[in-house]
Amino acid sequence: MKESMISVGIDIGTSTTQLVFCKMIIENTASAWTVPTVKIVDKEVLFRSDIYFTPLKSSDVIDAEAVKQLVLKIYEQAQMQPEAVDTGAVIITGETARKENAKEVLEMLSGLAGDFVVATAGPDLEGILAGKGSGACAYSKAHSCTVMNFDIGGGTTNVAIYKNGDVIDAACYDIGGRLIKVDKQGKIDYLSEKVKALSAKMALPLVIGQMADVKDLKRITDTMAEVMVSIAERRNGAHIDLPSAQEILITNHDLKTFDPIEAVFFSGGVADCMIETTKPWHTYGDIGFLLGESIRIAFEKTKVKAVHADETIRATVIGAGTHTTDISGSTIHYDRALLPIQNIPIIRLTELEEKSDSKARVEAITSRVKWFISQSDQSLMALSLRGHKSYGFDALQALASDIVKGMRAVIEAKLPLIILVDQDLAKSLGLSIRGNLSPEYPVICIDSVSVDNGDYIDIGVPVADGQVVPVIIKTLLFGY
Amino acid sequence: MNETNLKSIIEQVIRELNVADEPSKANVSACPLNETTCDVPEITAYEMENYFEVPSAENKDAYLNYKKSTHARVGIWRAGPRYTTQTMLRFRADHAVAQDAVFTDVSDELIEKYGWLKLQTAVTNKDEYLTRPDLGRIIDDESIALLKAKAKASPRVQIYISDGLSSTAIEANGYDTYKAMEQGLKSHGIEVGTPFFVKYGRVPAMDHVSELLGAEVTVILIGERPGLATGESMSCYMIYKGKVGNPESLRTVVSNIHKNGTPAVEAGAHIADIIKRILSEQKSGVDLKL
Repeated sequence: MKESMISVGIDIGTSTTQLVFCKMIIENTASAWTVPTVKIVDKEVLFRSDIYFTPLKSSDVIDAEAVKQLVLKIYEQAQMQPEAVDTGAVIITGETARKENAKEVLEMLSGLAGDFVVATAGPDLEGILAGKGSGACAYSKAHSCTVMNFDIGGGTTNVAIYKNGDVIDAACYDIGGRLIKVDKQGKIDYLSEKVKALSAKMALPLVIGQMADVKDLKRITDTMAEVMVSIAERRNGAHIDLPSAQEILITNHDLKTFDPIEAVFFSGGVADCMIETTKPWHTYGDIGFLLGESIRIAFEKTKVKAVHADETIRATVIGAGTHTTDISGSTIHYDRALLPIQNIPIIRLTELEEKSDSKARVEAITSRVKWFISQSDQSLMALSLRGHKSYGFDALQALASDIVKGMRAVIEAKLPLIILVDQDLAKSLGLSIRGNLSPEYPVICIDSVSVDNGDYIDIGVPVADGQVVPVIIKTLLFGY
Repeated sequence: MNETNLKSIIEQVIRELNVADEPSKANVSACPLNETTCDVPEITAYEMENYFEVPSAENKDAYLNYKKSTHARVGIWRAGPRYTTQTMLRFRADHAVAQDAVFTDVSDELIEKYGWLKLQTAVTNKDEYLTRPDLGRIIDDESIALLKAKAKASPRVQIYISDGLSSTAIEANGYDTYKAMEQGLKSHGIEVGTPFFVKYGRVPAMDHVSELLGAEVTVILIGERPGLATGESMSCYMIYKGKVGNPESLRTVVSNIHKNGTPAVEAGAHIADIIKRILSEQKSGVDLKL
């Protein structure tokens, strides 16, 4: 019994905007005589939009209305009705994400793309999605190794590292094709702040309004490429003549891990510039081709194995379309009327708190709930637990009763009780919790989702005969 | 060669083997005698999925990743063409667990603690249970009388527990699954009959129970034939208006209930929903599309 979900990815980048529509096939993979195990078994890209320049009102403000019209036009081209879309993600990325009207744009779009579209922004997430879209993540799983993905866009290069299919680190650098723009005569139109700082450090005569010397531009792109090699070789700028170059180019934070990597993937628009060598360098009025060439030559000199990604300029949007939604475990408990529900903040007990006796456990939950309410001034939250494989019925009753006692503040506010468990326990735990409340009290209890303090979760409308719910976890693990 | 002859030969061989073994006995204790505690690692303490002995593996992480998908004994290395001592001992320990699961009984104290009635099939001992499957399908006369006297007649759902081929499975999961089912059914407003335990039971005994009590749906929780991966696995069979002699295809089953399969309580909650479906569609087994 196969079923499918349609997912949309919308990427509004510094320079370009694009959409993809994907189909996710979900199927019960368990045999007929065991409890169902519904999984996403396949993902397929149905439609890739053309790549459009992001409509801007000025260099800092996205034209939200124009973006909406563009997205509508692409829906029409794809012959896709907004109601047919089950889930998806809007990613406002790169420099654009820092622009003040990002929120307005998200609000414009969220009504458009089905009732379950998440809106997220931030360079680390962008990089993680790009590596999933480019094939780097899948490669690390298939080859059981650690790989790095460079998604080199207009404004930033997003780095993500995957080990055996799991993301272990991410960072972002101000390395991109459109950090310097030139007009048709070759005069410099635009210099990003970071490029200004870098060229000052290198004593280069780059000034807006003056003719650009290719040699000077090349020195900038060569330095950027050297920084990338240094990142890939995990040496942290040690060999660059200008050790502070890497520091200057860090967008928000550097990488945190130092494990050696086995391969490097290149995606993003500049990845295409790396292999396209026939066009004049200023074709796009920026340094994209110069940067691409610098990176290619710099990596050719190293021993790092470089892989040209399956998807380059569309890597992020494909990652957004196919990798933001997951599904819950298959035996869960929920009130249908509550779904979809979005942006639920998460509080998670420590392992010790979870294992302690009833009195301490109630106290632990109570204090976390209180702390959360005092911090955020809202009472809607989800409690996350580990659970373990051999919970007996009586122990589960005790846990359910402790949860209800500990979350009294939520219940008094008449808000739904939302519980997330790592282990396969949710259906029985949900029933047990309901036993402690009036029968109509709204409860959602789902499992096989791993979240942590500070994460947010969206829970979608049930699929596969109501056996599972789609979930999107917005993790803050990498600081986005 | 008659049986007595054979026995004496075997006895002689065993005697000789023991004699041959004797010199090595002095070395059995690996612990220095002056130490009061001896730290012998428990041979069954680790999961086989995590046990990996291939020396200088090309990519250990990848191998361990593959191992997560199977209980099979792979990556255990060897001594010449044979098992290493460690894996051989583990194999025998797991085999012993499986045998114990079959040959022990569910303890009376446990049955009393849970307040289940104690019933038995027409089988009188384990040997007969293993050799006479037909008798394991019939509830004995004494138990019939007990049922008629103590159990609620014509319940909508009758759930009972039976040892089957693994008493260990019942001791590990029976109560938890039963209680979770009961809770789930209660939340659906479905009444459950008097719970009881049937010793020496086989699955089709549920048809006899169904006829005796006139239950609409009869459900049995029964120990599965144990294997080397686990001796704790339990199954749940369900039938709508079961009759003695009905085909096996009329049964709906949920198997693999144990801590490394579907956890007992979660299985119970899931089964409660299946029972609700059986009641509303008035059919079970292959006719019921889940």
